[in-house]
Amino acid sequence: MDGCGSFTVHHKRPPFSSAVRLFQAASGDIKTSSAVSVAPDSASLCGEMASLLQPDRAVYLVRGEKKIRAPLSQLYFCRYCSELRSLECVSHEVDSHYCPSCLENMPSAEAKLKKNRCANCFDCPCCMHTLSTRATNIPAPLPDDPTKTAMKKAYYLACGFCRWTSRDVGMADKSVASGGWQEPENPHTQRINKLIEYYQQLAHREKQERDRKKLARRRQCMPLAFSEKYGLGTRLQRQRSGAPISSLAGLSLKEGEDQKEITIEPAQALDEVEPLPEDCYTRPVSLPEVTTLRQRLLQPDFQPAGASQLHPRHKHLLMKRSLRCRKCEHNLSKPEFNPTSIKFKIQLVAVSYIPEVRIMSIPNLRYMKESQVLLTLTNPVENITHVTLAACEEEDPDDINSTAKVIVPTKELVLAGKDAAAEYDELAEPQDFQDDPDVVAFRKSNKIGFFIKVIPQKEEDADVTVSFKIRHDFRNLAAPIRPTEEGAETTAEAIWLTHHVELRLGPLAP
Amino acid sequence: SHSVKIAAGAVVCVESEIRGDVTIGPRTVVHPKARIIAEAGPIVIGEGNLIEEQALIINGYPENITPDSEVEPKTMTVGMNNVFEVGCVSQALKIGDNNVIESKADVGRNVILTSGCIIGAFCQVNTCEVIPENTVIYGSGCMRRVQTERPQPQTLQLDFLMKILPNYHHLKKTVKASHT
Repeated sequence: MDGCGSFTVHHKRPPFSSAVRLFQAASGDIKTSSAVSVAPDSASLCGEMASLLQPDRAVYLVRGEKKIRAPLSQLYFCRYCSELRSLECVSHEVDSHYCPSCLENMPSAEAKLKKNRCANCFDCPCCMHTLSTRATNIPAPLPDDPTKTAMKKAYYLACGFCRWTSRDVGMADKSVASGGWQEPENPHTQRINKLIEYYQQLAHREKQERDRKKLARRRQCMPLAFSEKYGLGTRLQRQRSGAPISSLAGLSLKEGEDQKEITIEPAQALDEVEPLPEDCYTRPVSLPEVTTLRQRLLQPDFQPAGASQLHPRHKHLLMKRSLRCRKCEHNLSKPEFNPTSIKFKIQLVAVSYIPEVRIMSIPNLRYMKESQVLLTLTNPVENITHVTLAACEEEDPDDINSTAKVIVPTKELVLAGKDAAAEYDELAEPQDFQDDPDVVAFRKSNKIGFFIKVIPQKEEDADVTVSFKIRHDFRNLAAPIRPTEEGAETTAEAIWLTHHVELRLGPLAP
Repeated sequence: SHSVKIAAGAVVCVESEIRGDVTIGPRTVVHPKARIIAEAGPIVIGEGNLIEEQALIINGYPENITPDSEVEPKTMTVGMNNVFEVGCVSQALKIGDNNVIESKADVGRNVILTSGCIIGAFCQVNTCEVIPENTVIYGSGCMRRVQTERPQPQTLQLDFLMKILPNYHHLKKTVKASHT
């Protein structure tokens, strides 16, 4: 019957889009890449299964200047201080600049000259996508013989996303594919440049006077490092936060040379302003012609109100940054120089040093009833790790979010080392760890599943949260091995680290 | 009448699903796995259209409910030189010329597309309005802007497909419209 047939037709969507929508609903932030690692046995892309693997369900506490709770995949581990670090307790430094569309590297000095913009690529002023150059054939008169016409190529810029073209703002087609496009010039450039020169000179003079006072004897030795205004790159400069700052002083080091005095005229205030047009209040607004605030503010020089004056601008460069621990000044993350490479020269991320706790399955949680939750613990290092769990004590200052009591296994859990070749080695004997079946649910190479007992304490709990401490041994391979008197120590000493972990188990069962 | 009328010069692959009273004009290409379903009324498709794979053009009952009483069937008209990209869903009753409905876009029943409109990828337009000419709807928030030139008809693409598709797919036979 036609009615029944139409029912199934209407609801049959292409399978991919429905899965994508469910994923979007489950994961609030699609950008965290570690969330999307769905194991093949839990391949059903229903929201519940995937949401347990979300990174922010299990967070670790970082004891820095601020107490930050973040999932382990977003944390770094300083192995010299043996502490977890988050993005807020490290210092970020610029490593290199590159253009995101043509992937061209640019040295910092050149980037500064070009105002951190790429020379070849343009951004659509309407939707901020990258513009692509398109060609059309137009008949054009030959230079030798004006009567004949030949097909010449004319190039224009077009956006593939919002279909904006350079012809919309009246920019003529160019005859060269690249390099012909000019940004409109700011009418105030001359005045701004003159002001910059004047203040540059002023800053230079101030710096010289300060240097003369401080270094009475050693004049020439280190003028730059000592009193560079605006220099926040190195540690010395960073600590002097009270000093006046200017990045312009360091550019010219001509001491003793008599520089030309630059004078500027002060800005003049005008009495008369241009009057508004008469039909300002009566003319109906044509919405497609009005620019949005975002489009307007991306061009701070002009801030055009009409869409027909939106000119494309060169694309902003992006930068690669390196992270540095603030206490010991060691690098925690240093990317490679090549923009096309995503690897790191130094990558001290927490997931490769600290065992990771993840939620595997949650039964129905009921108020004041004990339920067993299955968690997994993964060992990232190659040697055997011993892990002890402990519930938080009564007046623990870190324990602010938990809404349920938790009973953790008291015995020490042993995790096998991560062996990359284990899957190929068929003759290897499985190591016997003598697990207590009440505590350890399963064991698989470097991962174990274990039970904890949770007793929710709040009646109407939307998100049952438990917290506990996890204590594991960490072998510091970075520290120098000191030979003891009895003989050379072949293994590094193990130190015990304790972390505070919080798990969000979701709402109570209705 | 529940028949499919395919004009001469149209290329309609056998793997496409066409149901109900559908008229397809000349020089229109219907890819395999495209679906044109006329259940609440006939569909008339003009010339030079390009209907890609998994596109769904459906003249269905609103909200999927078959009315008990007899409702007058409304004809869905699609003009010339339109492009229905992969996976889009179109229920608009009136579509003009030179429109482009991009991949996975969803156009509701109460929308009327005039000419030169571009509905961007994954945009869902289910308002009750007439979209003015040369409008581009793009982005996740369905932002709009007006472009100065309408999208070019895909003549090159159509010619290429009309040559190549018969090499790999069987085509549905031309059925002349009985009342023309």
